[in-house]
Amino acid sequence: MEVKDSSDSSSATTALAGSKDGLANDEGNLSDAEGLAKEAAFLFQNRRFEECVDVLNHLLEKKKGDAKVLHNIAVAEYLREGFTDPRNLLDALNKLKEQSEKLAHSCGEQIESENSSGSDMVPGSKSNSASIHQSSAINSSRVVYAQDFDTSVTLLNIAIILYHIHEYSQSLSVLEKLYQNIEPIEEQIALRVCLLLLDVALVCEDVSKAAGVIQYLEKSFGITHAVGQVDSGCSTQQQSNQGMKIAITSSVTAPDVSTTDSSGNGNSSDNALGRTLTDETLEYETLYSTLDTVSEKLERPISNDNLKLSPDQEASSIDLKLNLHLYKVRLMLLARNLKAAKREIKLAMNIARFGDSSTALLLKSQLEYARGNHRKAIKLLMTTSNNRSDQGILCMFNNNMGCIYQQLGKHHISTLFFSKALKCSTSLRSEKPLKLSSLSQEKSLFILYNCGLQYLHCGKPVVAAQCFDKSKPIFYSRPIIWLRFAECCLSALEKGLLGKSDFSSSEGDVVKVHVVGSGKWRHLVIDDLSLTNRYHKCLGEDAVVIPDGKLRLSVPFARRCLLNALYLLDYTENLQSSASLSSKEETNQSTSASAKSLSQKNTVTSDSKAFNATSASMPSTNGELKETKGGTLSSMTLQSSISLHEEMRRKENNMIRQAVLANLAYLELSLGNPVRALSAAKEILQLPDCSKMYTFLGHVYAAEALCYLDRVGEALEHLSIYVSETNDVQLPYSDEDMEKWRIDKSGDAYEFAGTQNAKSSEVQGIIFQKPEVARGALYVNLAALSAIQGNAEQADMFVNKALSVLPDNPRAVLGGIYVDLLLRRTQNAVVKLRQCRHVRFFPAHLTSSS
Amino acid sequence: MLSIEESKNLFALLESESKSFDEIVAAYQSQFPREARFRVCSSLAILLEDKVLLKPSQRLVAYAILHQTYSSNPPSSNPFISLLVNAASDDTSVKMEMVFIQLLLGSIGGNNNREVMKLSAVDYIKGFDSSSYELFQREQLQKLYADGVQSKSYYSIFQAASVKNIIPDPDISIGIDATPYEPKLSAAGTKPRIGSDDRGNAILGLMQNLSVEGLGPQWIRPAPPMLPVLDGELIWLNPDSNHELLWDYGMCADTSRGAAVRDLIAKALKGPLAPAQQEQFVLELAKDAKLVYHCGLTPSKLPDLVEHNPLIAVEVLSKLMNSPEISEYFTVLVNMEMSLHSMEVVNRLTTAVNLPTEFVHMYITNCIASCENIKVLLLSFSMLSLFEGIGQVHAKQTGEVGLCLSAKSYQKQDNQRQVCFFRDLFIEVQAFCIEFSRIREAAGLFRLLKTLE
Repeated sequence: MEVKDSSDSSSATTALAGSKDGLANDEGNLSDAEGLAKEAAFLFQNRRFEECVDVLNHLLEKKKGDAKVLHNIAVAEYLREGFTDPRNLLDALNKLKEQSEKLAHSCGEQIESENSSGSDMVPGSKSNSASIHQSSAINSSRVVYAQDFDTSVTLLNIAIILYHIHEYSQSLSVLEKLYQNIEPIEEQIALRVCLLLLDVALVCEDVSKAAGVIQYLEKSFGITHAVGQVDSGCSTQQQSNQGMKIAITSSVTAPDVSTTDSSGNGNSSDNALGRTLTDETLEYETLYSTLDTVSEKLERPISNDNLKLSPDQEASSIDLKLNLHLYKVRLMLLARNLKAAKREIKLAMNIARFGDSSTALLLKSQLEYARGNHRKAIKLLMTTSNNRSDQGILCMFNNNMGCIYQQLGKHHISTLFFSKALKCSTSLRSEKPLKLSSLSQEKSLFILYNCGLQYLHCGKPVVAAQCFDKSKPIFYSRPIIWLRFAECCLSALEKGLLGKSDFSSSEGDVVKVHVVGSGKWRHLVIDDLSLTNRYHKCLGEDAVVIPDGKLRLSVPFARRCLLNALYLLDYTENLQSSASLSSKEETNQSTSASAKSLSQKNTVTSDSKAFNATSASMPSTNGELKETKGGTLSSMTLQSSISLHEEMRRKENNMIRQAVLANLAYLELSLGNPVRALSAAKEILQLPDCSKMYTFLGHVYAAEALCYLDRVGEALEHLSIYVSETNDVQLPYSDEDMEKWRIDKSGDAYEFAGTQNAKSSEVQGIIFQKPEVARGALYVNLAALSAIQGNAEQADMFVNKALSVLPDNPRAVLGGIYVDLLLRRTQNAVVKLRQCRHVRFFPAHLTSSS
Repeated sequence: MLSIEESKNLFALLESESKSFDEIVAAYQSQFPREARFRVCSSLAILLEDKVLLKPSQRLVAYAILHQTYSSNPPSSNPFISLLVNAASDDTSVKMEMVFIQLLLGSIGGNNNREVMKLSAVDYIKGFDSSSYELFQREQLQKLYADGVQSKSYYSIFQAASVKNIIPDPDISIGIDATPYEPKLSAAGTKPRIGSDDRGNAILGLMQNLSVEGLGPQWIRPAPPMLPVLDGELIWLNPDSNHELLWDYGMCADTSRGAAVRDLIAKALKGPLAPAQQEQFVLELAKDAKLVYHCGLTPSKLPDLVEHNPLIAVEVLSKLMNSPEISEYFTVLVNMEMSLHSMEVVNRLTTAVNLPTEFVHMYITNCIASCENIKVLLLSFSMLSLFEGIGQVHAKQTGEVGLCLSAKSYQKQDNQRQVCFFRDLFIEVQAFCIEFSRIREAAGLFRLLKTLE
């Protein structure tokens, strides 16, 4: 009777059942299919893919067009063929996904129409609420029928493949879709989604997302607490935690009992009253015990007794614990929360004692590397790499060694390690049989970036650009890579690889003097060090084409790169500011998080999900909860890591922006675009906390641009900032400013003092000039401005000061000669020419007599 | 600036002092194409600045070329007109030169001026009689020829401020002569052809090397430094977790697990469930935490469930607390018709889970509103108990102890913060109390509110 009743009464269920039955009408057929499915799954588990595909094909005959069968066939076939073409599988899975979504959608619509007709019959449903019902019904259809057209496994597999082929941002977007609606997803799959999302988020350096996932994992899979107890070893805390557990179960079961009791009596008000009375006493009993656990309740919606762990799962849960710790370490390292990382890695090592600790050791090495303890890092790295036959591990080992030696300033060794790592990495690809994991282990793209950076700093811009170009698929969305490209171009330019060599360099070169005639009629002709149009001649045509021919290093290319970097910087900044704004709002009303979305109807975004996870633990801070609880502590360190990371990101982006703008202003000046140069220089000066070095550059570039625009007065304003009343020029920045800029490292870097020298000696790139040199430049430029304004005496004074600071700088010497000529002191000029080491005399005679 | 060939040709023209100016100009025009002439003239102009470098006859030839190159156009369009005018009126110049230029310009000599071109430089110098000409002053000349000539246009003020980049460096002392860079003329063994003497060599060399721009004021443009390697910019590699492809176990799986629950829900929407059914429902849900998402309940169906089976509704909602859709359920709950059952659901939910404050506020407001509408005593009575319940639970949630509306708990904890919770609703609740003052609890609540004021 019940069966009949159900089929009659519920239109929704029959529709559901019908849609399913439509695929397999025959009941017997269905059970048959079930058997086959089990067999196929068994074969799959035992990696007998050949037979598995056979069974699946058999199954497909019975259930034509079934998305899940097709999905499993695609996966099994792919595994059978040995990972030859991941893109192919990707296409197949994407098609299946679309197909299922279409089916689910059409089915949902059908249900909905029945739904709305049904809701009309509900007595007392007001017209204004009806609209809400309808809108929510559209959204809910997805959840209700998720089971039947569940694409979560397909989506996860798509994300997995994308991850393995290094398309992280795409993988991330797929995973986010899954994560947003993770609650209904089956637990094991949800776990996998979370872990993969963690990996991808960490690669993408999305710290807050990763932190959100970690917190979600902790609360949903009940992991932290046990670990926290073991490690803190605090018995009282353990007890209080146990007390909590009891409280939770009691508060959950208590209403349950009353429900079953009271429901028999119908729904009179007496009953409700009675309940509150009986509950009142109960509540007072539990009041104090639940007081501090209420917020915990939200953190652990799946009570532990729901998770019935088999011994097998128990082992994997230890694994999970360890992994979660390691993920946290990685996150904290990324956020440069080194103290927290140190704590966290201790916890991880405690767990890993019994198992494989190589990953933990590798992370420990990374921690020491980050703290500047390079020797320790090397030692640790050595211990992890005992399995030297594994190319994957060897590749990591070499790359990480390269990183350490780069930081030590040993650039040649570093280069050696990076190229070794690259070799290992490429050999992974040719390994047979190919595994999916070896695809993801193939880290060439990351190593190539390291190589590029290394080459750039060793003064090999062309090779560096080639490396950066290859690593673009991963890094293209980061502003820094575009700055590095531009630096490659500029470095190539300085080295005279672009354009005419006589225009190539600025300060390092010589003053050319042609000696003309002889005897009484001897004359000296001085070549000006041309400033303007220096790169005009290499506009466009002159470029170094890097060997694989895809990229041309040129000045316009450099400009494009810089503009790209600026765009990306603006973009990320906008994202960040909006994110921080919203998160502030949310923390202000942390308790009413869902109420806020209540008023906004339907704003379930990925961010709010991450936030929900954090907000669950937020009330503890203003409440009377003790902070010593594992979950709270962990969420606090995660929070602080997020804010640390945001702060660091902000700082780094500020640094990058300064460098980008300075490069841009410099390039525009060189290209003879004073207007653009001026705007870039002004932008530098408007940056909120700009370093003094870049402020200096900004002023000098702006002043020069203004000169070209015939605005000498304004130009003088920019430079006179540095001029004191006695016509002295102060140092535009100090040595400390430069130190601050170079390394913002905390921690016990005892080796550092020694490495500093090695660093500067081997690095060939352009580094900051010493403050005195900068002052000299200011003197030279002030002399020029004075001369232009017709004040030759003042120019003379400045130029003499410049020469006392920079006696060997050809420009300063030339400036001095210029002023001498202006004052018609030709003899002085000749003396200056003769005394300067950077003057080359060219006998004109040889050319004339040929 | 001039090529070797050009400089030699030009020098030869300057040297040919015995040819008439006309001949020289004709030769010049045939030897130098139009586009090269400006460069040539510029070099000549620079050479002329040095008053002793060129011999007098050479200077005359140079002036003649400067003038004749642009003679087909009005004099003001000659780029070197100001140079010519200056030279013609400069008191430090030799008179002979001034006269020559003024003759060229045609300011003096009447119709004679063409005649001078027919002379050679030597003839002109020989036959020059300084007394026979009355020279024009600079202002007059300027008015005549250079009127409307714009001041020199330049690329930048740097260029405008530039000086001549030629320094005479007479090598007089023999001792200095031994400097290594000094080319030794005689030792080089070159044939003394044109310009073989020091002066000629100097002129040739200057022609080849001088530049129009001259030497500008010097400006140091510091190159931007390379950004140092940022912390963490180098990529440190860590082993990946093993993400293998997954098998979809949902394939042909038994999807009936939720069927029973779905049936129950469907029934529960129509009418009250029997106790046994309720028990079954709770059991089924407890077995599978995810089942609640597949039981077929949607926010739109919630009012029915609440009306018929409030306890089931509580059960389902408390399990859905983590669902992304929970806010929709709350919206429906707030907006649905106020009833005993809905109140019971909310009351029970407050004890079971952490309800958002905003939701509770909204609910209470709705409660009071509908209560005043119907004025059902019984309803308001149960609402008071709801208040009490909510107040207590809210106190627990926020950690603010004693946020209770019952008088006894108030006596225990005197805390001003408790007002906060009901501050928004203060007026409403107060009015409510007055209206229902017949009821003991309402009176108590009113007294409490008074003390909180």
